[in-house]
Amino acid sequence: MDPLLLARLQFATTTSIHFLFVLVTLGLVTLLVYLQTAWFLTRKPVYERLTRFWGTFYLVNYALGITTGIVMEFQFGLNWSGLSRYVGNVFGAPLAIETLVAFFLESTLLGMWIFGWHRLRRGAHLALLYGVAITAYASAFWILVANSWLQHPVGYEAREGIAHLTDFGALLTNQAFGMAFGHVVSAALTTGGFLVAGISAWQLIRRAPDYEAFRKSLRIGVVTASIGTSLVMGFGFAQFGYLGTIQPTKFGNDEDKAAAAADFAARFGGSPADYLPPTWVGAPLGFMILIAFTLMWVWVFIPFFYRDWIIRLKLPLYLLLIATPLPFVAAILGWLFREVGRQPFVVYGLLRTEDAVTDTSGAVMLTSFVGFTVLLLGLAVADWVLLARVAHRGTADPALGRRPDEPLPEPADRPEPALA
Amino acid sequence: MATIWYGLLGLFFAAYLVLGGYDYGSGLLLARARDSADRRAVLTAVGPFFLGNEVWLVAAVGILFGAFPMLEGELLSGLYPAVALALAGVLVVTAAVQLRSRSLSPAVVVASRARDATTTAGKRVHGRAAWDRAIIGGSALAALGWGAVLGGLLQGVPLHADGHVEGVGHIVTPFAAACAVTLLTLVAVHGAAFLALRLPGVGHARIGRRLVPWALAAIAATTAVGLLSSRVRDAVQRPAAAVPLLCLLVAALVVAGGALARGRPGVGFAATSVALAVPIALVGVATWPYALVSTVDPAASLTVADAAASGPTLRLLSWLAVPLVPALLSFQVMSWWIFRGRIDGRAPVYW
Repeated sequence: MDPLLLARLQFATTTSIHFLFVLVTLGLVTLLVYLQTAWFLTRKPVYERLTRFWGTFYLVNYALGITTGIVMEFQFGLNWSGLSRYVGNVFGAPLAIETLVAFFLESTLLGMWIFGWHRLRRGAHLALLYGVAITAYASAFWILVANSWLQHPVGYEAREGIAHLTDFGALLTNQAFGMAFGHVVSAALTTGGFLVAGISAWQLIRRAPDYEAFRKSLRIGVVTASIGTSLVMGFGFAQFGYLGTIQPTKFGNDEDKAAAAADFAARFGGSPADYLPPTWVGAPLGFMILIAFTLMWVWVFIPFFYRDWIIRLKLPLYLLLIATPLPFVAAILGWLFREVGRQPFVVYGLLRTEDAVTDTSGAVMLTSFVGFTVLLLGLAVADWVLLARVAHRGTADPALGRRPDEPLPEPADRPEPALA
Repeated sequence: MATIWYGLLGLFFAAYLVLGGYDYGSGLLLARARDSADRRAVLTAVGPFFLGNEVWLVAAVGILFGAFPMLEGELLSGLYPAVALALAGVLVVTAAVQLRSRSLSPAVVVASRARDATTTAGKRVHGRAAWDRAIIGGSALAALGWGAVLGGLLQGVPLHADGHVEGVGHIVTPFAAACAVTLLTLVAVHGAAFLALRLPGVGHARIGRRLVPWALAAIAATTAVGLLSSRVRDAVQRPAAAVPLLCLLVAALVVAGGALARGRPGVGFAATSVALAVPIALVGVATWPYALVSTVDPAASLTVADAAASGPTLRLLSWLAVPLVPALLSFQVMSWWIFRGRIDGRAPVYW
């Protein structure tokens, strides 16, 4: 089989799985910061229960976020050695910074946060979570700087076919970067908000014992989702203003498209038709916008906080429950548009995808694709099952944040009820 | 400048092998644990450090990409099967350690006595046993894979002048296999020394002591195979520098064995840490000034200077590294300090 196609399929699969997990990581850590800060300030037990419950959920999700993230990092070298050869001088820098500033610190701090419960002072423990959140955002920042450079290369000069860095500041002020970063971060907030609201709604529908906690996290989820959807749409539509200019073949009018394609054909060879993205690429964009317009209505639930009508009417709970997967779908669709829309380039107008792929046989690529896809999908499914169990079990005594000397809540040998 | 960054790259990768090495070593020794309480103790010993250990690998590859982009593509794709193997192992361990206890309620987690597979709790304990097997297998795979990568660097790759590496079969040699097994034994000794340091009881010190001769035998076999292999003889540029490092490796293991026998796990762990860092220095020094040696065309061999990113990129990264590397290190040291000492009944249990 064609190594190029396989390498692209592998990248798309790994990135999609990775994206589903990091969206939740980024969204939930923001809410966790709120919850633990509230616990720190008010000392109300409900915030402790919520921090421990959502903290457990966050950590189970994080396990796959980091696992898929490691694959992403290696994949550049394994499958796309042309990318590091031709543009590594520029593209490598933000990625290196991301691993050092963000990934490295995030994990180190998180390890201390998990095990520092009852061992560190409350303030120091909270500070660790702030560190985790800041580094998570820093991670998104640098990854988006790197990705935006692929969308719209700036701040470099090409000598003998190899790109050299000339102006690092230009990478940070890249037109393709700012709005996209806002868009992705608010998409994560939206996803986190809907997830928290949806799971809380589920617990309230089944009349879980901890009404107080889930009532609170339902409200937090709905408010976050309302803010998130407004921001995500704002940052999304703001990109329409310049997208046609910097990537005419993705989003320009027909004239600009034809002119850009003809220009690329003249520079790289082939016919202009080779330089247009697949025709279906508008579809994911359309569906994403449709989902966003649906989710936008979540703010309507806010007035129903009054006298807990949102819970007593039941219908809002069911609506929130079925809305939970939609932000994930929208995120994947938006990502498809951004990345497929710039094809056949891996670095827009500079390096073609086919020139970046590692020169290896189809058999090697196929083995790698099948092997890693099966492994990652297996782990992802296992993780989702565990997430469902964590969500289902509720706030009753999660392992996270237990006092080591605390007596057990029930006799250890008693079998658990089948659904608990 | 490129030399400093090459050193930093080596430092990060060595730190990964030392720190991640005891994760994998402890993972391997799960196979020797008698019951689930024993396995739990092993994972609690690794506990707070686990997430902070493997990020050294992430950072090392980040440096590889940022400071040595040319090397990144050619090294990883040139040793594709070995890297993929190691990567698969790393992924499995990463996920399995974090997820093994997540479907159990704390009551079952702490007591771990529910063995009856007909109850839900029983099934989930069995589910955890499956995750534990995944940790053991993943640890073995990671150690073997990184060993093969180091072996692959020492025997060179069929690198052509245009930067592409021909085929993947070149990695399958007795020498690469011997290196893989050697790293596996080193990691196992290292894990035993770590557990002897962190856990009460002398069981792990005894296991570690018994593993030392195996590690020494593996090193001897690897050295012999390497001397017989013409590829290794050609690729090694400075045998005179390699020999003292090899002696240091052997000496570290002998010291570790002695210290573990005399109930000095601290010294033992320090010695096995040296033993895991030395192979990186050995590879780096032996092939210097090359970062990647070509077996087909001497002119195509990639020197460290050629492999490095161009001036502006290195300057930018250096400005960042000056404040950053000490900061990263101090957070790691903070973690080691907070959770220092032998674990007891009061240690937080999470994995």
